[in-house]
Amino acid sequence: MKPANQPLGAGGVKPANQPSGASGVKRRSSRGGADGLDEVKPRRLGLGFWLAASWVVAIVAASLLAPVLPLTDPTDVGVGGPRLPPSRDWFFGTDSLGRDVFSRTVYGARISLAVGGFAIGFGMVFGGGLGILAGFFRGRLDHVIGFVFFVLLSFPALVLAILITATLDRTLLVVSLTLGILAIAPVGRLARATTLVYAEREFVAAARVLGARRGRIIVRELLPNVLIPMGALTLLGMAVTVVAEGALAFLGLSVAGDDAISWGKMIVDGAQLRDLQQAPHVAMFPITAMFLTVLALNLVGDRIREYYDVRELAF
Amino acid sequence: MAGSGRAQLRDGAEALLRVEDLVAEFPAGRKQVVHAVSSVSFDVAEGETLGIVGESGCGKSTVARSIIRLNPIRSGRVVYRGQNLAELEGEALRRVRPNLQMIFQDPISSLNPRRRVRDVIGEGLAVWGDDRGTWSRDRIDELMAAVGVDPRFGGRYPHQFSGGQCQRIGIARALALDPEVLICDEPVSALDVSIQAQILNLLQDMKCRYGLTVLFISHDLAVVKNVSDRIVVMYLGKVCEIGAADELYERPVHPYTRALLASIPDPAATVDVSEGDIGGELPSPVNPPEGCRFHTRCPRATELCRQTEPSMARVGDGDHFAACHHPVLVAAPAPR
Amino acid sequence: MNDRLMDAQIREGASRGDRYREGASRADRGREGAGRGDRPLLEVHDLRVRFPTPAGAVRAVDGVSFDLWPGQALGIVGESGSGKSVTARTLMNLLPRTARVDGDVLYEGRDVRALAAAGAKHFWGVEMTMVFQDPMTSLNPVKKVGEQIAEALRYHLGQSRGEALAEAADLLGQVGIPEPARRVGQYPHELSGGLRQRVVIAMALACRPRLLIADEPTTAVDVTVQKHLLDLLDRLRAEREMAMILITHDLGVAKGRTDDVAVMYAGRIVELADTVSLFADMRHPYTEALLRSIPRIDDPSGHRLDPIGGRPPDLIDPPRRCSFADRCRYAQRDCLEAVPEFAGLEGLHRFSCNHPAGTERGRAALAANQAAGRNAAGLSMTETREEIR
Repeated sequence: MKPANQPLGAGGVKPANQPSGASGVKRRSSRGGADGLDEVKPRRLGLGFWLAASWVVAIVAASLLAPVLPLTDPTDVGVGGPRLPPSRDWFFGTDSLGRDVFSRTVYGARISLAVGGFAIGFGMVFGGGLGILAGFFRGRLDHVIGFVFFVLLSFPALVLAILITATLDRTLLVVSLTLGILAIAPVGRLARATTLVYAEREFVAAARVLGARRGRIIVRELLPNVLIPMGALTLLGMAVTVVAEGALAFLGLSVAGDDAISWGKMIVDGAQLRDLQQAPHVAMFPITAMFLTVLALNLVGDRIREYYDVRELAF
Repeated sequence: MAGSGRAQLRDGAEALLRVEDLVAEFPAGRKQVVHAVSSVSFDVAEGETLGIVGESGCGKSTVARSIIRLNPIRSGRVVYRGQNLAELEGEALRRVRPNLQMIFQDPISSLNPRRRVRDVIGEGLAVWGDDRGTWSRDRIDELMAAVGVDPRFGGRYPHQFSGGQCQRIGIARALALDPEVLICDEPVSALDVSIQAQILNLLQDMKCRYGLTVLFISHDLAVVKNVSDRIVVMYLGKVCEIGAADELYERPVHPYTRALLASIPDPAATVDVSEGDIGGELPSPVNPPEGCRFHTRCPRATELCRQTEPSMARVGDGDHFAACHHPVLVAAPAPR
Repeated sequence: MNDRLMDAQIREGASRGDRYREGASRADRGREGAGRGDRPLLEVHDLRVRFPTPAGAVRAVDGVSFDLWPGQALGIVGESGSGKSVTARTLMNLLPRTARVDGDVLYEGRDVRALAAAGAKHFWGVEMTMVFQDPMTSLNPVKKVGEQIAEALRYHLGQSRGEALAEAADLLGQVGIPEPARRVGQYPHELSGGLRQRVVIAMALACRPRLLIADEPTTAVDVTVQKHLLDLLDRLRAEREMAMILITHDLGVAKGRTDDVAVMYAGRIVELADTVSLFADMRHPYTEALLRSIPRIDDPSGHRLDPIGGRPPDLIDPPRRCSFADRCRYAQRDCLEAVPEFAGLEGLHRFSCNHPAGTERGRAALAANQAAGRNAAGLSMTETREEIR
């Protein structure tokens, strides 16, 4: 948050932090502080949010710290017997090759989250950028960008993913990029729609009248307003991408290599008939991890969007 | 009646801002055009407040936004200190802009909800000055105090203020660059009655304090009269009548001006209430009537009005012009 | 209090009931069970509406009482937040479920709130109807206007489709819409704002209501259209002996179009009188200040306005005292101690003020405050600005 005495003009691109919430109708205490500077209590985010946020933080921390955590090597074959049920030694049991499912679930988060984060980041930068430009400049540029979005949306997503991953090496970067390209159009359309709404507002006209250049208007006036809904979408988009990676894995198109572990690939491994019958835990643990993560991302994203939905009217 | 012509323009030397034959049109789809402003001319002398009054759709806001180039101008000239603003583009336009500032109708919509009011007010300084922030902070505090908002609240966001305070903040933002011309587009119509007077008085104070020339647009005849030295009455993209405020309301000659004055709930004493009963509907600006644009609703309209557009002509010997073939010329009313 | 003043207020001796009784008996014709001239059409007694919020209950309406006689036009004047629209919506049973309502509302002696609880079908829309500020809130954009009017007639009065459509055209004619036969087949978006509002008025009048509540009916239209609409309401009211509550923020509108005016501030009626005497001798400092703050068409240009200082009070837990005291040029110590009594004799000029304008007490209070430079609540007498919260 910006300190109150920060020099002028330094507060631009960040989403406006708003500790002093606008809760309900009451916007000031009726007796007020003597100086009127006291503030209303911030809005509550709720227990669900904090549980979900803790889960996301835990998963991210675990995946980042996996190499230094006391885990067995997730690629080691036969560390225990094949298809051992969960026990004290093997929290999540072992899979058909006797690998530690717990360790693999933690390591799997690395690729799943990396793919999700990178893909949506790519979508944000390119989709968001194009969307804002289209919404701000309108006219011919809008037509061209709108057409690009249409093409991206109309092209069967799976076919595109198969085309790219089948022709190129299935490295982490390629898989992420593939999903990132698919994220461009939805993110871009949201950015464009939001920009259109705000570009009509009179504060944009006021900035033009003050002599602000177009770049400054985009960065100072529009971006802070567009970023909030986009930020919430990032988390939702990440959730979708995590699932999409799983889908690619089923087609054998996720990141290649035995040492590249992802939840999707783990689920595929555990989804053979014999595994499902004899050791359902092999698939169940990565599925649960994915489910909880997607649920948590959705919840956090949604609550953040609501939280920053600034009320603009005083009464 | 709604006419063209430039008889109302004063000597070039007097006018700080001069609008000549301004035409503004917007596409209305299917190759149709909205004739929002059709050949409007007026001028504003330095230090004067010019009011523009008319009903919705008369083009008054379009005139205001065209002058500061927020709207495309089809043709005509907007001369400010010898420069034709209508021709300026890019950097040249940007350089003139600080001299002409604007206050908007909706105080909430005109402030960025995600910027602190100090940054909102300081935007002009940030654009044009350096970013060191030391001098600008004092300047912002001074501006906030001048418009009656406590500088201690500079760190707050617009939604934490009431509508009246937001309008004060908008005024401070416009004044930050020390403009010469202030264009107010319905600055009080979104405010509660008891707050309107505060803002009108504030505008008056700011005008004196900063030596402003003001263009004041409103649909409210009483408000316009209160603030203006000279008033333009517009109808369907044309000027009907121009004159010194008191003179115009004392002796309105254009049937449309008279209809307006007779229609307000507490009608002016200078007109008969029945004159407010102008019939018919406002014609579409896509397809405005030939001749005088007011002839479809005017009680005095004749064949001449349907055929020929009247041009602005002087009324009496004072500062009073009207575009009408059949102006209502009556003796000065008896003092009440 | 103020016996002398009260005496001065008594004029001619005709009570409000007498004034409207004649109108009521005329309104009786052709209506079954209507208009017992000895009692008001609508009695509102100590109406209170609160909206619970996390920060506390907002007292939107805080003890409003008035009577409305058949054929009477009552203006309710106030700024946003004064409670005038909430009052109207309470009468029309249009409040959100969360609202807490107390007090009595009687329509011809029937308890309106009990009707609401019992789910009465043919009361609102038949006996009592409402016209809103924005005609599009009352009109269905994808339905022809004739159908929309006919729908009300068919539902409430059980008319056949043909009958109802014919009457719809007739109604459109009555509200001054040219070519009504053609207009019944048009959609709302094909009409101008003024015509739309006429359609809404026609809809409201379809079932021949005895009470029309008009909530800022002309705020969204231009002055020339406003005059036409208000003239229309005047004419229809006279023709149909209909009572009307005209809610407006515009004192000028209330002045020319009502028999009586109630001025509301912070959820209470602060002054209630017949329109002529209210504008001739306004007693409540708020009424006086409101009128003085408005630019008038006959004032010379450049006339300095007299704004009301301060800002409206918070409606959450309002202090038990005069709600206007903080902004009032007359306010004395006693204004800060209790809510002033709403005084006056039944049916006469009543107001809620200890130091009414235009009286000895008022003049003395004003002089004392001017000498002190500020009022008892600390408001500066020279500087008028909206106070920072």
